[in-house]
Amino acid sequence: MTRVVHYINQFFAGLGGEDTATVPPASKEGAVGPGRKLAQLLGDDYEIVATVWCGDDHAAGPEVMDDLLALVRAAEPDVVVTGPAFTSGRYGLACARVAAAVAAEGIAVVACMHPDNPGIDEAGTAPVVASGEVARQMGPSLETLAAAVRKVAAGESLTADDGRVGKIPRRNVTVDQTSAERAVALVLARLGGDREATEVPLPRFDQVTPAQPVADVTTALIALVTEGALVPDANPDSLESARATRWLRYSLDGRDVLPAGEFRSVHGGFSTVWANEDPHRIVPLDVARQLEGEGAIGTLHGEYLVTAGNGTSVGNARRFGVEWAADLRRQGVQAALLTAT
Amino acid sequence: MDASNGAPTRDGADTGLTRLVHTVRAVALGERTAYADGTLTVSGPEAAAVLADPALAEVRVSWASPGDPARIVKVLDAVEPRTKGPGGGGIFPGFVGPALPQGRGVTHVLRGAAVVVAGFVPRAQEAVVDMSGPAAPLSPMGATHNLVVEFTPAPGAAWEAVYEALRKGALALAARLAEAALDAEPDAVEELPGLPGPGERGLPRVAAITNLQTQGTFKEVFVYGRSFGSTALPTLIDPNDLDDGAVVSGQLGHPSLKNPTWVFQNHPVVAALRARHGVDLLCAGVVLSPEPVDAANKELVSAHAARLCKAAGFDAVIVTKEGGGNADADMALKMDALEELGIPTVALYAEMAGADGTGPSIVVPPTKATAMVSTGNYDERLSLPAMERALGGDRVDVAGAAALDAFELPTAVVYASLSPLGWGHLTCREAS
Repeated sequence: MTRVVHYINQFFAGLGGEDTATVPPASKEGAVGPGRKLAQLLGDDYEIVATVWCGDDHAAGPEVMDDLLALVRAAEPDVVVTGPAFTSGRYGLACARVAAAVAAEGIAVVACMHPDNPGIDEAGTAPVVASGEVARQMGPSLETLAAAVRKVAAGESLTADDGRVGKIPRRNVTVDQTSAERAVALVLARLGGDREATEVPLPRFDQVTPAQPVADVTTALIALVTEGALVPDANPDSLESARATRWLRYSLDGRDVLPAGEFRSVHGGFSTVWANEDPHRIVPLDVARQLEGEGAIGTLHGEYLVTAGNGTSVGNARRFGVEWAADLRRQGVQAALLTAT
Repeated sequence: MDASNGAPTRDGADTGLTRLVHTVRAVALGERTAYADGTLTVSGPEAAAVLADPALAEVRVSWASPGDPARIVKVLDAVEPRTKGPGGGGIFPGFVGPALPQGRGVTHVLRGAAVVVAGFVPRAQEAVVDMSGPAAPLSPMGATHNLVVEFTPAPGAAWEAVYEALRKGALALAARLAEAALDAEPDAVEELPGLPGPGERGLPRVAAITNLQTQGTFKEVFVYGRSFGSTALPTLIDPNDLDDGAVVSGQLGHPSLKNPTWVFQNHPVVAALRARHGVDLLCAGVVLSPEPVDAANKELVSAHAARLCKAAGFDAVIVTKEGGGNADADMALKMDALEELGIPTVALYAEMAGADGTGPSIVVPPTKATAMVSTGNYDERLSLPAMERALGGDRVDVAGAAALDAFELPTAVVYASLSPLGWGHLTCREAS
């Protein structure tokens, strides 16, 4: 008997819609809502031993993930299923993040949502299979999901033939020919008219629409942010000089200057001699304070945000951007000056 | 000129270079530097004397061989021992020999050996070579007998002077070691073709564009002993010049994406082109290009490199880089500029897809060109075993571990493991 744990949201748990979107994580033995039909499709060799749910409003937040994981673990699953989330954004995000966290613990998992669900990229290495766009397509969506559950439970990988969508992890493998030999083979193929052959699929990047200009900069709260790795001299929080996995914040309260010797750049991507001689070359606090004093800008935000932009994966860089934007918005910042090296 | 049967004629081709290959099968330290019957013996005091410089208080040499339970950390550069005659005979032009083009006549090669400089220099990103275990096959230096040069800087010496002394010393030592084989019978004689003449027709002329990192001291590459400037224009050289050490590394960033001098001497794209020379292509030349630090100059050198390739009559080009994400832009711009001129192009990219391999693979993709080779994912993590001997330092700071410990590292830290010049066997595949 394969033990299945199913994650759904408050709506599919039968607790209501937006009015109950704040219910905390909870679980119940057995199948609930769409889980009943899923259990039928899976047949007698599978049992949905528990259903875990959470309200959409905070299900995607890191603060409830530990609680959700504890509920999942308590039911001792062989396989975890999340969704189908269709195109519901918050629900999709929660399904993806629960799946990613479960996969990170080495438990077999499959998430189900529409390929356009904004949460899909958050699934990490967990496989996602396609659902329909709307709940009306529950039937066929559950059939896809049930087939995927059987494969995952058997330890098999999912492919596009199984309805797999979203990111598929790329892994290092060793091949007989050197990269140079493969490049020569590829150039000969290219000369032979093959315009398709490649080892690297072209990435699809987000298109970011710039924010509207600040209406009145003389009253705006302005932040200084940088990827120039300028930190207090002792680098107290051990910011990485390359391949940064995090960002930091340092107070500017009561400071008009960033003196040489008190601050330095730990960036690994350029010669830091000139930056360390005058840290304002990385974070222009001196000029910003002057503009603040003149009334040319409203107020300078009380801290600067910093990371090292050197060999940073695009995924991490994108995450830093999202986190900085959220952090600055929460604090009422209207514009930021990003200094890049 | 008769191309009717499709075979190339040799009309107007340059004479090439002859490599006399002496295979190093065993190594030792001894009283006298000597090479006999595949065994390279090095005198420690002689080696130290070659490296002596006011910027260095002390130099120590020792061997690390394939299969040893040894780890070399803080690797700065690796050089293959080569010479063209007594005193170097012109090898490493601009450093050991006079700054003049080489790539003709005869060159002695001690294949299977390398001079490896390792130790702390403040601007270096830490590079690791394991001589056994899972990381050993990922680095060119995991398969060579490495004469590891460790050093103590002289008190008060500027780091720039220390690094310069190490670079010059390593090249001089590499020439000196190869000199020990001048009278030995070679294990192999390899004839390298010269540049194809204007009369050679019938096969496509394929060239390499080799981008060199040009970010100033500690992040530069030397051509004929001169630092290749960040605003220099691309230049065309004879591939055989690389064999004689015309390009020397002075670049300490991005360990896995570094092109050590050893790899320039054995330029893998050139080697792969030579292997097909006269069969289904002509190995037509190497364009060296800077990687400027600003977008406008990246645009300029890319457009100029494409024009140069067009003027030289190249039918296709393979583009390589050195360094991290910003160097992707140099390749993308060159690929697109070449394709716009109707020259099919392939580039070698390392992927930066995050530890779990789900992030976007490349930082700046081309918009017109599409053919890319993957040299592997920079961010995927590796588990390295404990070792019994460490050289170059006693810590791996990036792993927060003692050099002898077992630890995890991103592939990015293994020296030349994602070789932008194409030495390696890694690629990325979708986990099915």
